[in-house]
Parts: sequence; structure tokens; C-alpha cells
Amino acid sequence: MLLQQKMINRYLNTVKKLLFYLFLTSLLVIQIFPIIWLLNFSLLRNGDLFGSHLLKIPIPPQWINYVKAWTQGNIPVYFLNSTIIVFFSVLGTVVVSFMAAYACARLYWKLSGFVFAFILLGMTVPIHTTLLPNFIWFGFFNIINTRTGVIIAYIAFGISFSTLVFSGFLRGIPRAMEESAFIDGAGLAKILFKIIAPMSQTPLVTVSIISFLTNWNEFIMANTFIASERLRTLPFSIINFEGQYSSQYAAQFAVMMLIALPPIVLFGIFNKQIMAGALAGSVKG
Amino acid sequence: MQSIFTRKRNIIVLITPALTLLCFALLAPIFVSVYYSFTDWSGLGPYGYIGTDHYRTILFHDPVFWKSLKNAMLYLLVTVCIQHPFAFTVAVALSKLREKTSQIFRTVFFIPAILTVVVTTKLWIYIYNPNFGLLHNLFNGLGWDRLAKTAWLSDPATALGAIILMMIWQGFGWALLLYYSALMAMPKELLDAGSVDGVSGLKLYRYIVIPYLLPVINSILIIAVAATLKTMETVFLATGGGPGDITQFLANYLYQKAFVSNQFGYANAISVLFVIIAMSLALATNQISGRSNTE
Repeated sequence: MLLQQKMINRYLNTVKKLLFYLFLTSLLVIQIFPIIWLLNFSLLRNGDLFGSHLLKIPIPPQWINYVKAWTQGNIPVYFLNSTIIVFFSVLGTVVVSFMAAYACARLYWKLSGFVFAFILLGMTVPIHTTLLPNFIWFGFFNIINTRTGVIIAYIAFGISFSTLVFSGFLRGIPRAMEESAFIDGAGLAKILFKIIAPMSQTPLVTVSIISFLTNWNEFIMANTFIASERLRTLPFSIINFEGQYSSQYAAQFAVMMLIALPPIVLFGIFNKQIMAGALAGSVKG
Repeated sequence: MQSIFTRKRNIIVLITPALTLLCFALLAPIFVSVYYSFTDWSGLGPYGYIGTDHYRTILFHDPVFWKSLKNAMLYLLVTVCIQHPFAFTVAVALSKLREKTSQIFRTVFFIPAILTVVVTTKLWIYIYNPNFGLLHNLFNGLGWDRLAKTAWLSDPATALGAIILMMIWQGFGWALLLYYSALMAMPKELLDAGSVDGVSGLKLYRYIVIPYLLPVINSILIIAVAATLKTMETVFLATGGGPGDITQFLANYLYQKAFVSNQFGYANAISVLFVIIAMSLALATNQISGRSNTE
């Protein structure tokens, strides 16, 4: 009798566990299915789109879609622009924010708290409210429709978050590190770049990746500030391609995959840092 | 100690680049906006000063402005009442798994959040396509003809829902991540004490976990409020606010006023109101989360 009860219990537990995993997995499938669908159709023929199947095994995979996307979609140009803009934006964001965070977190001055609060206030300004005025304002300085203008805007919008992450880390470093270097006769530049920066790998990686993702994916500022086709960034390739080859659905899917690929690869490698960074930004944001 | 750590010159050198950039690209534009909001500028050519006319029109005679705010409220409501409870439930489920397994789940759930909104929006436009979209094929397969033929994004009855669903989908990984880390940061003793006292299952969450996490949940919800205001790209790319302003949101509306109807002055006035709304929300955020931190 007891044995039977035990077996029933064990059986019930297994069923519970199964249902539990079923729930999680089906939710996961719903959440990720659109992306699987995207990948699937980027490898099919155009005509395969019209049918009652949800997915179709691509035999043979139509890599030609990607070739079309790459060549007819003008992707190399967009890709280069994105790379240039994102490279300088990330570099600028990291350097400028690291310096500011160091001044606020480690140096002794009266206004440090106030300046720090002012920098964080930047997070509350929605990008969208600056689109119009900056369109006019950047025009005064002749940096509208240039990569420089976009880079400046990207750095400015990255500063608050990055300074927050850096200062959180810097506040935890023991004072002795700098003091002994100072006694040995090192200047502030040397202390900052030779001692503090090498210790700060974790926040440096977090900030770099998050600002890479943000800027690589950014669309609305680039759309507002850049008008010439030859300066536009990668997200535009799909809009442009769609405009020119509106019936080449499969190739459009390939263009989308190409835009999405760098973030996905990066996420595959750095998913822990990215999620930690996302968390750090939203706690205060 | 008169040292390099207090020298004014060092501080100024370190802090100036950040402050200059913030003032140039974030602060100055707000003043530019305020200036043009008092004019009737079309974006080109000469313009005149017209006082607070725009503000009065927006607040008292512009149904689209209020419609945009109402849509943001609805989106917020869906976020708070559907997305968040759901994310919390999944976070609880994931917290029961081994770290390795839950890591895999969380990572996959987060993928939509790392993609550019341009790709996710275009993708969803295809999903909603009434001729060959994913939903069309799904409903076709089930034999639900009427649903299969629905043009989700251009039908006034479904457009707003369709837009909100896209945004909920993309933001789900975020919400999950926030709740999961809140759960992980809970002291284990609290849960153990609960189970010793014979509190278990749903009751454990009802009486111990949720009350304990209330401050965190509070700030997560406030983040959600801010996020709902920052909605633009999805609408801009998918519907342009249409059909007939049914899916209009504030940012998209001011953008259209400026670049489509050439009412630069008017659009800047909307922009200024937008800043005020966002700033007051942020202030309220600080008040509330500040209070819950000291409790």
C-alpha cells in the first residue's frame, strides 16, 4: 500500500515536472519563433513564402538570397558606415565617461556630487525630444548629414549610463592603489591609464558592448540627421532594399538576417556581460 | 594633503568633455525647442513670434495629442497588467531550475531585445501580412478564414493591439531579466524560514516573496512607465501612426508634425511638453524609489 502511494507520488511529480518544462519550452518557442521563421525564409525560394506551411526545410538552402542581399542591397557601404560611426562612438563614450566617472568617484572636490547627478539626469531625456531641435541645432554647426554629427549624438546619449557603470566600479577600488602610486611619483594621467584602467576590465567590457549594441541598432537619430544614401547606417539597408526590390521577399529576409547577425554573434559570446549591463542601466534609468 | 587628487586643473580636464557633450547635444536642444515653440516656423524661411498659441492649441484643441497620451497609457496598462505578471511567473519558474539551464532560457528569451527595432518591426510586418504572413499561414492551417484574412496593422480594430503586441514581445526578455535578478537577490533564509513555518507554494509568494520584493517591483514598474513614453520606432516603421492616428504615439506625432506637415514651431511645442512629462515622471520615480529605499 505504502509502496503504491510512493509510486503514485513519484509519478505525479514526474508529470508536474513535465508540465513545468512544457510550459517554459512552449513559451520559449513562441518568443523565439519569429526569428526562426526569419532565418528559415531567408534560405527559401521567393515562391515558398506562399503556402500553408509555417516552416519549410530549405532543400537546397538558397544562399543566393544572401548574395543578392549583399550585392544589390548595397550592404558593404552601409556596413562600413555603421562600423565607422559605431567605432568612434564606442571609443568616445568609453573614454569620456571613464574620465568623468573617475573625477566624480575618486577625486576630492565640492561639486562632485552635483555634477554626477547632472550627468545622470541625461538618462531622463528621451532621445525623441532632441530629434527636432538637434536637427536645427546641428545645422548651425554644419554637422547635419555628417558622420560626426551622429557620433556626437551617440556619445552624448551614452555618457550617463556609462558614467553610472564606471563610477559604481571605481568607488569600490581601495584608495591605497592610487596613494602608493602617487608617493612613487606618478602623475594623474599615469595613475588613470596605467593603474586604474587595467583594473577596470569588467566595466570597460560591459560599457563597450552595451554601447556597441545600442549604437549598432540605433535608427531614429541616424534617420533624422543623415540624408545622403552614401552615409547611412546598416538598419537602412532593409528599408532601401525593400524600396527597390519590393517583391524579392526571400532576399529581404536575408538582408534582415545580415543586419541582425553581428548583435546575435556578440550576444552569443558576451551574453552574461550584456545582461549584466542591461541590468545596471535599468536599475537607475 | 595638497595632492593631484584635489588639483582643480585635473578635475576640469577630466570632467569637461562629458559636460560639454551633454550640454551640446542634450541640454542645448531643449532650449532650442523652447525658442522655436513660440514661433510659427515651417522649417524653412522667415518666421514670427506667436507667444503661447501652440501650447494652447495642443492642450485644448488637439485630439491627436491626447490620443497619443492615451495610447501610451494603454500600452502601459498592458505592460503592467499582462507582461509583468507573466514575466514574474516565468522568472519564478526559472529560479527553480539549475543555474546552467536557467541561463540558457534567459539568454534565448533575451534575444529579441538585442535586435534592432528596424529588423524586428519589419519582421512583424511580415508576420502580420494578410497574404503570406506567419499569422495568415497559421490561421489558414487551422481553417479560421476570417482571421487569416485580417490585415492586422491596417485594420482600425486591430492596429493598436498589433503594435502593442510587437513591443511587448521585444520587451519581454527585459522584464524577465529584471524580475529574475530581483528573485536571485532575495536572501535564501527568508524562503527557508517560510518553508519551516509551513508556508509553501503560492502562499509563499503571496505572503513572503512579493511583499519583500515590493520596492524592487515598484522601481521596475517605474522603468516601464518611462519606457512606454519612449515608444516611437515601432510605430514610425510599421503604421506611421495610422490608420487615422489610431496608433499614434507622442514621439511619432511630433516627428510627423515637423517633417511631414512642416509645422516646426508646433512640433517643437509638443517636444517641450514631452520633455516636461518625461522629466516629471523621472522626478516622481526618484521620489517613489527614494522613499521605498529608506523604508
